[in-house]
Amino acid sequence: MSHLEDELKTALRRMEPPAGFAERVLERAKTPALPEPAWWESLAVLLRPPRLQWVALSVVMSLMIPAAGVYRRERQERVEGERAKQQLMIAVRVAGNKLHRVQQKVLEMGRMDTRI
Amino acid sequence: MSVAGGTAIRIEEDPEPAAQGEIPAFADIVRGHQAMVFGLAYHFLHDRGLAEELAQEVFLELFRQFDRIESPAHLVFWLRKVASRRCIDQIRRRSFWPKLRLDEVPEPAMKTDGRDPMLSRALARLVASLPEKPRMVVILRYQEDLAPAEIAQVLDMPVATVKSHLQRSLDMLRDKLARTVGEIAI
Repeated sequence: MSHLEDELKTALRRMEPPAGFAERVLERAKTPALPEPAWWESLAVLLRPPRLQWVALSVVMSLMIPAAGVYRRERQERVEGERAKQQLMIAVRVAGNKLHRVQQKVLEMGRMDTRI
Repeated sequence: MSVAGGTAIRIEEDPEPAAQGEIPAFADIVRGHQAMVFGLAYHFLHDRGLAEELAQEVFLELFRQFDRIESPAHLVFWLRKVASRRCIDQIRRRSFWPKLRLDEVPEPAMKTDGRDPMLSRALARLVASLPEKPRMVVILRYQEDLAPAEIAQVLDMPVATVKSHLQRSLDMLRDKLARTVGEIAI
């Protein structure tokens, strides 16, 4: 065994707990443990008004529901805006093409008139 | 006399010590094993209050599950296993990392055997800074003097893992101790 292991044995020796430890354990052991509440009792405790957790939950919900609505509406508007923008771009492109074709025809007709 | 888990437990001390192979009364068990359980908890948690609370909980769990104890040897195994598991759970549940305050380290009321108490304190602090599983392996090895195979049984891990935790922890401790305490013949 190395010197370090020797030192570890010294450093990690068993330790007596503070005075009166055993008496405290025995006292706790003698105290009858509270019976586990039935599932419906736990549920009834939760539902018994007014409970702080219910108040907190309703405050959080009353803030979250409108915030979620606003967020959803904004998101929908953004999507619709994007779609309208794309449709406008397509329309502009189509109109540009048509205009270009009309311009070509006018030019062709002008050339034919000069030849005649 | 009290009843827990359907088995009658003698809470009060026995006027006569239990015969070999017989499980002693609960009070005798607490007094006989409190240094082991408290020591494991203290060396692991490095907090007297938490260690006492945890040690009490271990004995109360023993009180409730007394009918599962088959022999004195099984009792010791059970106490080590439950104390180790509760120590590791405690760290995980509370994300508790040892707050090493020098005033928390107990004064060496025990005999020092001519050894350096400063070195022992430094070592105890370094052990408390190891990760949870290697820490418990080291404590079981050097407080309880358990062989790797016995530690493997207590902690439900392969013997090879215990050996590797031990080896790595010793290397780490040797290295840290050399840096903390200085050049000591380790």
